Amino acid sequence: MAVDKEELKEKIVEFATKKSKFKSKMYIKDLYKADPDAKPREVKNAANELVREGRLEFFSSGSTTMYGVPGFGKSEAQQFEGEE
Amino acid sequence: MADLKKHDTPLLNELKKGPFPSFVDDLETRANSGVQCCYDLLGQLELSYNHKETHWKHGGIVGVFGYGGGVIGRYSDAPKEFPSIAHFHTLRVNQPASKFYNSRFLRKLCDMWDHRGSGICNFHGSTGDMILIGTSTDQLEPTFYDLSHQFDMDLGGSGSNLRTPSCCMGKARCEFSCLDTQAITYDLTMTYQDELHRPAFPYKFKFKTSGCPNDCVAAIARACTSIIGTWRDNIRIDQKAVQAYIGGELKPNAGAFSDRDWGAFDIQKEVIDLCPTRCMWMDGNELKIDDRECTRCMHCINVMPSALRPGVDCGATILNGAKAPILEGAQMSTLIIPFMKMEYPYQEFKDYVELMWDWWMEEGKNRERLGELIQRQGLAHYIIDILGREPIPQHVREPRSNPYPFWKEEEVPGGWTRSLEDFRKRHAA
Amino acid sequence: MIDTSMYKDDPGYNIQELLDKPYDPELADREYNPDKPMAGRLTDQGPPHFEQFFPEVIKKNYGKWLTHEFLQSGVIKYTSETGDVMWVVRCATPRLVTTNLLREIADIADKFCEGCCRWTTRNSLEWHVTDEGTLKELIEFLNNLKHPGGSYKFPIGGTGAGITNIVHTQGWIHCHTPATDASGMVKSVMDDMFEYWNSHKLPAKLRISMACCLNMCGAVHCSDIALLGIHRKPPFVEDDRITGVCEVPLAIAACPTAAIKPATVELADGKKVKSVRVKNERCMFCGNCYTMCPAMPLADEEGDGVAILAGGKISNRITRPSFSKLIVPYIPNELPRFDSVCKIVRQIVEAYEKGANKYERLGDWATRVGWERFFEQCNLPFTDKSIDDYRLAYDTYHTTTQFKWSSHTDKMM
Repeated sequence: MAVDKEELKEKIVEFATKKSKFKSKMYIKDLYKADPDAKPREVKNAANELVREGRLEFFSSGSTTMYGVPGFGKSEAQQFEGEE
Repeated sequence: MADLKKHDTPLLNELKKGPFPSFVDDLETRANSGVQCCYDLLGQLELSYNHKETHWKHGGIVGVFGYGGGVIGRYSDAPKEFPSIAHFHTLRVNQPASKFYNSRFLRKLCDMWDHRGSGICNFHGSTGDMILIGTSTDQLEPTFYDLSHQFDMDLGGSGSNLRTPSCCMGKARCEFSCLDTQAITYDLTMTYQDELHRPAFPYKFKFKTSGCPNDCVAAIARACTSIIGTWRDNIRIDQKAVQAYIGGELKPNAGAFSDRDWGAFDIQKEVIDLCPTRCMWMDGNELKIDDRECTRCMHCINVMPSALRPGVDCGATILNGAKAPILEGAQMSTLIIPFMKMEYPYQEFKDYVELMWDWWMEEGKNRERLGELIQRQGLAHYIIDILGREPIPQHVREPRSNPYPFWKEEEVPGGWTRSLEDFRKRHAA
Repeated sequence: MIDTSMYKDDPGYNIQELLDKPYDPELADREYNPDKPMAGRLTDQGPPHFEQFFPEVIKKNYGKWLTHEFLQSGVIKYTSETGDVMWVVRCATPRLVTTNLLREIADIADKFCEGCCRWTTRNSLEWHVTDEGTLKELIEFLNNLKHPGGSYKFPIGGTGAGITNIVHTQGWIHCHTPATDASGMVKSVMDDMFEYWNSHKLPAKLRISMACCLNMCGAVHCSDIALLGIHRKPPFVEDDRITGVCEVPLAIAACPTAAIKPATVELADGKKVKSVRVKNERCMFCGNCYTMCPAMPLADEEGDGVAILAGGKISNRITRPSFSKLIVPYIPNELPRFDSVCKIVRQIVEAYEKGANKYERLGDWATRVGWERFFEQCNLPFTDKSIDDYRLAYDTYHTTTQFKWSSHTDKMM
């Protein structure tokens, strides 16, 4: 049975926020753990909807794409645009 | 324009010499028309030629709002010297299948990119995308807005997305093509837009489509799913044209050997004896082919394109799992589905894609390509348990040479639970 | 004609209407509001449908072509079952092009080719014409177009038994992990190989590919000759900067060989910081850590350079596709013209030209004569680095008594 999308989204945000304290960027596989009952595709769709809502954000390592919670970790400016 | 700053580039100036088109001259010509970033790019490259080290940093920007791919962030590590390229990001733009363009499109695109960015591009990137090199963060969204509203263009894939599918020129120009490669590529690109723009997978995923086993788009070397045209009926033979090759009126291999004297064309030596399965022979003046023995390598057809053509019952051979060497070593795609009809709307193909993706999304480790997962969990498992297909000899180059298959309990009569007591009745301890 | 009826509703189908309007530089500034990014946004529209860019002769003869012929290097004549004839002229481009050059391309397309042109998978540019007079004029026109420094803008060639355009990556022009430059090396090698670009004198086609680091965003691993940038020194770790600019766990996770471990280190001022240490002997020099962490740069003037691999191919013709093999493990970056790379490529190409049979690809020739003979005939030293010690190494061991006597065994006797 498909899981409820809104419920799943809340679980993903909760999971990602908790995890962000240790590691601010997560693979999609990490987000699967937010709800073991949800299918990978459901998690993907929910996570991408959260990005559209601005509650998650993408980060690129070049060859892979990761998810982060806005406000956690280093910002683009801190990392790459010089440290002044 | 008065404050243009040109850098000294004595090393790069050496790359203006020689007959092959000079990218340095092209960049400098553009710089001279009043574009500082082209001077700065040349300046920074000259610095790299002096230091023998790159001066770029990676950025974490991935795309425009809501997209998880299509943009690659770049920052100069010498922004004080080269301020106009301090932020110099790249956009990948999904090319039209097989890369035909018209002048109205190109000019309008130039107008846009001159306005929004550096005016520097790659035609094309390795994946097949049109690459727009060099703009600042604040121009990314407006560039995307322009592309989508004024060109009907979209970004391509990067990161752990479906990468932009690409193909050879197919039926647009090639008489060998067994597939409508552009139509397949267009349809897959449109069907899987979500996977292309938003990360769905453990790592990158690539579809590439070649019309015949000559594989001009290198599908077998690069694609997770390689779609390569083939046929299952007979090679069409025009015996009169065969005689024209033998008689020297037609040039072998369409004239591809024209600048060297290889002597008169010898059909026995150049075609029949080079056939990998030796399935051809001359019967008097007739060329005969035992098509059942043919592996469709294309050699004879390449040598005598006016005399031989692929059959008419065409479809695709589907192979899986190619990748560049990092990390476990390079892999070529391996044969999975010997033949599949590829006709709109490609439902059989899409059903197979679902099975494959569901498995990989579930089982693939982070940064594990499909080809590596097939290796890790076993080719037979993938073919039989995941795709629900029969194992056939075509799935292997040769059978395994070790006798250690992992038998499953249900394959052995009586299973693995047995009575020790009964055993000991027959055998003293 | 192509049946495109099923695509008529796709937004990408009618691009002509959009192209009738000139580019509006203010449209996005007027309509796009960063605070409401979804307002008026178009997403997931995909590329425009390819058919709209075809020349008329291709629209008409799509799927109906009968045969083709190379009239000279770079000039192909196509014949259709409808009786139509089309000529294609192929030219090299350096892949890296500016809008100045693109506008020139648009002008040529208008002047000779009904406004159309096409790029190949290997970065060449193709022009389509339908009468011989225009073909002659086009060829003459292209042959006279030169850059200020004297190089051709659009040299004709790249077909048949010759060397076609080199596919390559960004190099120092625009990448953060290259071990060498791509555009400069390609220019240098193609200048040197130009006689093979515009001729059909090799035993078969020869494909050269170039990638500027081992991540190979240009997949070069199945090329007749592969030029590959390599690093040979592990990355720096800037302890005093790393916590400011990196997330340490991400840098650790980025390493494909798990060579990066967390470490607490003491800075010169006595301050303790969380940093990392690299197990150098496990480093495979890929630069993935630098991608995630700008405080771990790995570029190095002395460490970086070029490896040459050879004998791979993609086509299924006669023999199966095969990987390129490591022939020369390291050549320093010699700037600006990569002299040793050019010299070694020439040695390989000339030995191949002399030794191979008609239709025989470089790897098939080397396999036939034996790799011991290949090294001899290319006059290249065999080094320990060509003996595999990575994964799947056993595949390359020589488990037979069949070998040839060569200079390598002679000196042992």
